[in-house]
Amino acid sequence: MLQTGNYSLVLLVQLTLLAYDLFVNSFSELLRGAPVIQLVLFIIQDIAILFNIIIILLMLFNTYVFQVGLVSRLLQKFRALLIFSALYLTLSICFHCWVVNLRWLQSNHFVWTDGLQALFVFQRTAAVLYYYLYKRTAEFMGDPRLYEDSQWLRDAFARAH
Amino acid sequence: MDSGDSKTMRLRELPPLPQRGQRALPTLPSQDTSGQLPASKHKKKRVRKETNMVDDMDDPGMEMGGPASRRVSGIRQQLTLEPMSDAPPQRRKKKKKTATIDLEDDQADLVNGDAADQTNDGEEVVKKPRKKKKSNVIESQPLDELDLEEDDIATDALPPIPQHSLFSAPQGQSLPVRKVFVERNKHFHATERTDRRQTSDQRDNMTDFQHTQPLWTTRDVSVSVHTGFRVLGLYCHGFLAGFSAWNIVVVYMLAGQHLTTLSNLLEQYHSLAYPSQSLLYMLLAISTVATFDRVNLAKSTMALREFITLEPMALASFLYFSALVLCLSQQMTSDRINLYSSFNTTLWPPGLEHQLLHPWVTVNLVVALFVGLAWIFVVIHPETDYTEGYLMTMETEPPKPEDKLEMAA
Repeated sequence: MLQTGNYSLVLLVQLTLLAYDLFVNSFSELLRGAPVIQLVLFIIQDIAILFNIIIILLMLFNTYVFQVGLVSRLLQKFRALLIFSALYLTLSICFHCWVVNLRWLQSNHFVWTDGLQALFVFQRTAAVLYYYLYKRTAEFMGDPRLYEDSQWLRDAFARAH
Repeated sequence: MDSGDSKTMRLRELPPLPQRGQRALPTLPSQDTSGQLPASKHKKKRVRKETNMVDDMDDPGMEMGGPASRRVSGIRQQLTLEPMSDAPPQRRKKKKKTATIDLEDDQADLVNGDAADQTNDGEEVVKKPRKKKKSNVIESQPLDELDLEEDDIATDALPPIPQHSLFSAPQGQSLPVRKVFVERNKHFHATERTDRRQTSDQRDNMTDFQHTQPLWTTRDVSVSVHTGFRVLGLYCHGFLAGFSAWNIVVVYMLAGQHLTTLSNLLEQYHSLAYPSQSLLYMLLAISTVATFDRVNLAKSTMALREFITLEPMALASFLYFSALVLCLSQQMTSDRINLYSSFNTTLWPPGLEHQLLHPWVTVNLVVALFVGLAWIFVVIHPETDYTEGYLMTMETEPPKPEDKLEMAA
């Protein structure tokens, strides 16, 4: 059974990482006085996304539903998050590499091209969907039915077999 | 052969029965029985025949074990305690009548403790069928043969026990007491103990219930976080609507009538363009997530139905998402405005200001309109929140008692 204190702590960590991610996505363009600042911000942001994915996967592995063997049901329920997390991480790394590469020698100059603009739009849009799905999943992970035997789980198990 | 196996299985259940019957017999140390062998030999043989007859009448399948037992009939001279082990079929009917008496005897044994030697010997005899049962399982031989061998082994192996009678007695007495309490506790007037056990069980159940249902559950944490974010989202909706309205008003005021003073706009607004763009993205992101929460967008069929029926929340989420994409699409122009002072000549060639700024102003106007309209939709139904409705249903339904039994089985 998931302890309330542990869940609160994990949820706090997840939301903190999400808040940092949103902050970097919003204001990283303003913090480009030196290229190294953006580099550090982007590295921490990518690590934060990776940590968030690892945390949510560990939480999924910790559920009773997963341990019983209903992995497909969990994946069916949370596949959107996993897909968008992977997509967002990929887009973020690509965009960060591109922007840092363009601004490394001269940080405060105009670097935008159509391709970069398109990647920027996709990355930021995927970010919003990732925030929504991640927050929703993190809240749903507090569902006590995922951590103990229940009628709901029996019904799901009966349906699966 | 299956029937024979089933009979042997039935026979394996029998050995515990003669325990009480043996107690009525003169209890003898195992070594002494060999001394009485000649005297009791014929009587016991006759009793054995009778019991075989009775068993054959009751259960013809028992013949399956017969030949195996007769195969070793050459060692029947050593059968000292065999009648005692074969007594149960005869004792069975009596035992039903005298069950309470036997139980009382057991209780009396419990009360007397290990003082009487007879009781100790009786307990030694009680132990023997248990060994027999184990060896039955291990060797899977017919019962009669095992009876013979086991009795012999028991008589040979028992001598150390009388020396430790003081220690063996409590061990032996604990067995029937446990059995009695499990099967017939009411006859022993052990209601107080069982009641106490029940009350302790109830207490345990209560503690378990309290343990599984703490005051502050993970569901409450989820709901509180969601509620907090919804409040933050409501503030963001209003702030975003106000900020975008202020932004577009400032832009139109600086641009002048029909966008004639765009250079003035660039001059005055270039330091504000990027911060406002960043702030707009942050507020739009929070607002979009908040409205997606209200629609429960992850349930695609439900969200689609809401879009088709033009529910306010679905429209609001669509407007916020459109505003977000439109806002992001103007990032390049915003950065160009931001760099107006540094790269005045290269980024803003004379004559192209209107061509570059006109879409930007229009998009900002559309964003402001979308955001304002979405805010109106949200504030009309601020209580609509499907995700919270789902979170509130995250309660555990305890499994039915019969299901629990099945699981235990």
